[in-house]
Amino acid sequence: MGMVHGHLLQVYPGTELVGFADPQRGSHERLASQGLRAPVFASIPELLATAQPDAVFICTPTHTHLAVTRECLVRPVHLFMEKPVATSVADADAILALAREHRVMHAAGYVYAHLPIVEEARRLLAAGVLGEVLRFSAHAYISEVFGPKSGWFFQRELSGGGVVANMGSHVLFILGWMFGRIRRVMATTRSHASNVEDSAHALLWFDGGVTGMLDTSWSMPGAQMLDYGITIDGRKGTLVLGREQILLHLLRASGDHPEGWSEIHASDLPADTAFDISPHIGGESFYRQLRAFETSCRTGVLPFCSLEEAANTQRMIEGIYTSAASGQPVEVA
Amino acid sequence: MELALDLSPPESKHYRSWNERLRYVARYSQPEEIHVLLETAHSLGVRSVMAVLDPRIETALREFQSWRSDLDVWAVVPNMNAFIRDLTDRGMVGAALARFLRLRPAAMMATGVAALRSLGPLARADFTAGALWLAEMELAAASGLRVRRAFLHPQLTEIALAGRVTLLFTEFARRARSLGMEAGLVTHNCLRAAEVLGPGLDEFAAILAPCNPKGYKMAPSAAACGVLFRSDPARFWGSEVTAAQRVSARRGLAFASALGLKGAVLDFRTLDVLLRERASPASGG
Repeated sequence: MGMVHGHLLQVYPGTELVGFADPQRGSHERLASQGLRAPVFASIPELLATAQPDAVFICTPTHTHLAVTRECLVRPVHLFMEKPVATSVADADAILALAREHRVMHAAGYVYAHLPIVEEARRLLAAGVLGEVLRFSAHAYISEVFGPKSGWFFQRELSGGGVVANMGSHVLFILGWMFGRIRRVMATTRSHASNVEDSAHALLWFDGGVTGMLDTSWSMPGAQMLDYGITIDGRKGTLVLGREQILLHLLRASGDHPEGWSEIHASDLPADTAFDISPHIGGESFYRQLRAFETSCRTGVLPFCSLEEAANTQRMIEGIYTSAASGQPVEVA
Repeated sequence: MELALDLSPPESKHYRSWNERLRYVARYSQPEEIHVLLETAHSLGVRSVMAVLDPRIETALREFQSWRSDLDVWAVVPNMNAFIRDLTDRGMVGAALARFLRLRPAAMMATGVAALRSLGPLARADFTAGALWLAEMELAAASGLRVRRAFLHPQLTEIALAGRVTLLFTEFARRARSLGMEAGLVTHNCLRAAEVLGPGLDEFAAILAPCNPKGYKMAPSAAACGVLFRSDPARFWGSEVTAAQRVSARRGLAFASALGLKGAVLDFRTLDVLLRERASPASGG
């Protein structure tokens, strides 16, 4: 992910890539061969002292995020952190506390929330088009794990978990952004191929009274890229969010939206992306994510994708693991 | 206006629902269904198939080319989705070696010699050297197909355009020519490609970029893309002509045609729509 963010920082008109911190030998040549031309420093203190960045993108393995945050915040640099932000709620809270203490802007890399169609769904809910939201069902599937896997990504203590922490968390973030703070979780998880959980079912209760279920698996055949969807029922109708469209069913017309079924497609929304770094995975959301963070750094107003929102996601992740381990519902403080 | 079929794996596309995904993925996992698709495409005037090669698609194309001599393959290499999946299992070197060991002896020899020449850059994980080696291995493995054009996979293209890695493009075009193929470019950032490559854009016989009446995926803007297309229309092909099935195939093709584009690339869903429109001409909107 560091490579993708590095490229976007070079392409985006409001940012300049001033350096990398990477202790691995040879990384300078490797990065330069991709056109990432900024100097590479062997440590974060060297990067901070020499390149003096205004903001740092933390794209290291998840278990290092808190330590790297501490190293970065010896001076006030804004923080962008790849998801999941931590391997535990305690670490996520500590990272957020550090960012607040140093009065810096912060954001987490839940990139799918920046897709225009997802933002539109959130806007419709906030505008009350569905009235009181009652329940949802959601899925997040990808074809990735069908046998034993190795590497840090598949070690819970390093990556924070399996499909829930790394793929399902994209949808958990969106659910939290839409419905508010998580209150209660009941879940089951299964490991059928790797050492972490490969699938999960989670029942989620939010503070505002919304309840629903997430079904996630990275062992579903047929999806090279994350396939997700959320169906939301309210007192006035139903909203079905897919990758490229929203299907809306309203019991009565509301604003511009007619009674019965209507569709809002991604192509109906304004195009506002100058560069698409990954057309098939994330698409324009990477560019929009960077713009949200850059705007935040410039204006001093936290973006919707702040570490505060990500801490709520972390509570869902940890709640799911705790509930699955105990077989009991978990109250999330 | 010429037509090409996009035959990238059905698993790599976005769908309206999980059920729609399973329907298409299951259907096009069957070689005979790919044959039917190719025959349908041919009947609609398609004479080129743009394919990200996997064993299932490669086999189906080889069989189809054995009885249809007027269908060219445009190979999109390397298959980055498959490579990235392998990467997490085997690591960079392991994933590359696995591809090498699957080659036939002659192809192994040819790409092995090329790899030896680039041993230093490959050992340093040089982006251009690695991408070219992977691409060459896939092209060598596909030697049983009549490949007219070779395209660098868009995941590599967009990264290289962001980083202004012009060497990858010029070298890819040179190597494609040396294999008797034309080089092509598939991108969602055609203006960036024109800016980064400058006159080097002429090395690419076909450039595929989104083109539709809604401006969908036309970065940075439909107007700017339109100006570029009009500057050299014989080089450009439209992709996403239906704006993800949001406009009719007929309207999308008319739009691309009005811009003077050389052709359009259609996926299997758009072909389904075209077939329906042909069956009942009044239904197209």
